[in-house]
Amino acid sequence: MEKRVRRQCIRAVAKLAVIMSVSAAAASATTIERMSLVELAQAAPVIVRARCSGNAVARDAGEIWTLSSFDVEETWRGEAPRRIEVRLLGGSLGEVTSHVSGVPRFRAGEDVVLFLEPTKRGDYSVVSWEQGTFRVRGHASGAEAFVTQDTASFATFNPATRQFRAVGIRNMPLEDFRARVKAALQGAAGRQP
Amino acid sequence: MKRAAALAAAVLLLFATVGTPAASGYLADTTVPSAGGCPVLDRWNISVSQPLNRRWSTSLPLAPVTILTVAAENTSAQLTEIENTISAAFSAWMGVTGTTFNSATYPSVIGPLSRVNTANACSNDAGTNIDGLNTICFNQSSMGFTTGVLAFTRVITANAPDASVGSGPPAVFAGQILDADTLFRNDGQSTFATPGALATTQGQGAYDLESLLAHELGHWFGLDHSAVWRAMMFPYAPPPGQYLGTRPSGSSPDAPLSDDDRAGIRMLYPDPNDALDVGAIRGRVVPANPFALATTPQPYTGGSVTGIYGAHVVAVDASSGSVVAGSFAGRSCNSTGTTAMPQFDGSYDIERLPVGHEYWIYAEPLVGLAQPGDFSGALGNICSTASGSSCKTPAIDTNFDPRAMPAGP
Repeated sequence: MEKRVRRQCIRAVAKLAVIMSVSAAAASATTIERMSLVELAQAAPVIVRARCSGNAVARDAGEIWTLSSFDVEETWRGEAPRRIEVRLLGGSLGEVTSHVSGVPRFRAGEDVVLFLEPTKRGDYSVVSWEQGTFRVRGHASGAEAFVTQDTASFATFNPATRQFRAVGIRNMPLEDFRARVKAALQGAAGRQP
Repeated sequence: MKRAAALAAAVLLLFATVGTPAASGYLADTTVPSAGGCPVLDRWNISVSQPLNRRWSTSLPLAPVTILTVAAENTSAQLTEIENTISAAFSAWMGVTGTTFNSATYPSVIGPLSRVNTANACSNDAGTNIDGLNTICFNQSSMGFTTGVLAFTRVITANAPDASVGSGPPAVFAGQILDADTLFRNDGQSTFATPGALATTQGQGAYDLESLLAHELGHWFGLDHSAVWRAMMFPYAPPPGQYLGTRPSGSSPDAPLSDDDRAGIRMLYPDPNDALDVGAIRGRVVPANPFALATTPQPYTGGSVTGIYGAHVVAVDASSGSVVAGSFAGRSCNSTGTTAMPQFDGSYDIERLPVGHEYWIYAEPLVGLAQPGDFSGALGNICSTASGSSCKTPAIDTNFDPRAMPAGP
């Protein structure tokens, strides 16, 4: 019994630790305003669940861009074609690499929910970059999909208080997340994430 | 339950083992050389005179006004106030001892801060924005901005020696930083205040400009984001109207930085004459059950996963309790010529620690919530350098129990 409790505690502490630690690398918050799910939903004219089909890098308007292609599986807000392209700063092209911290990157086959806004090129960008990026992953049991916001692990460990703080959507069942977004869009959101 | 909780905390305390240096480091950006090999840290070439030129554009948004100052708009005093804020942000990094960017020890490494009056000095959206001139711009409408993005820094690195941009000299090594620009948006979504203006009523709704600049300049030097709370490179800035740290002073120009920030820049640009900050703690995060990883798929033919891929490791000063430095564990990389073989062995490497101190090492696994590559480009590129095309980074293993290990030689 004690072993089981101990294991549960280990996992609980470890999960909290993730929140504390990992995602600091994730988002560039000095450059990004903290936005609630309601604010994100209201700022994004298009919200989709989509699967990344590949990436390309190109130069345009003097910048190096990574253009990620997605097959749209569900449209949660607005209208989107079945295949979309998302334009984000940075990438490696020719003899140089452009680094912009806080920009999400996607792998082919990855399942995501994206809060999007159109660009003047006719493609899309992600609202608030990593803050508007939610990764969908299957649970270890394979039974249910869970959603984690790229910036969800922004909280950290305070050695003075030995406490953790977390803000954002982290390991939330996909259906719960869908309901939260729907409520946010209806202006009837409950608690802030 | 209380005892169990204590036990749980205890097993997460992982004493360091000192072993073969791993290729991992702090959360610093890396570049994959085009010729192959392991990812290399991004950094300036400090072997040349004044490797880091710097300037700022005096073009300021007027309608709406986004830069708040105590001095009146469109006056030379306003430009001086802004320039002093920029200089203070630079001085924070240049005040760190034990680095070759320390302005007292190496006064000629960073060039003088100059002015340019063109609005498109960072981004003209027509030609190339990558010109080899390192510039801070406050009047920007780049297509890269989306809702909620206040400012960003674009750092350009060489994929190979001899790469060059603009009028700058060719690179000497892969990973060399060739250009760094910081862009603040100008559409009035947010405002930014100098320290003096932040204290005014109008400044209560503005972000502290000095904080944002100091953070962005950390990217100029090659640092990525830190997981240490209150570090300058921690992603979240203070809320509008607030400044939570310590302002720089003449005697402590680096006061706004944390020890984690200092360790990071020391690691990138170590002063060869520094005898104090030369400690390193290296080790591996491994599962308590050595067979736990046996069923993990091979990342590539002939490769194996022998440690926890994805764990955050933090060094805490045992006497003061303060967080000294943080790093990621998960892999190392051995390179022979242009062939790089990533080793998913749970390696971590925390360098440039002050000697003569005792440290606790906390290792925190990710337990499947995310992939390391999601959070840092430095960790996402490892497989692209492997020989062969089948390399695939392993998934996070959720079935392990971290445990305490004795310190090793």
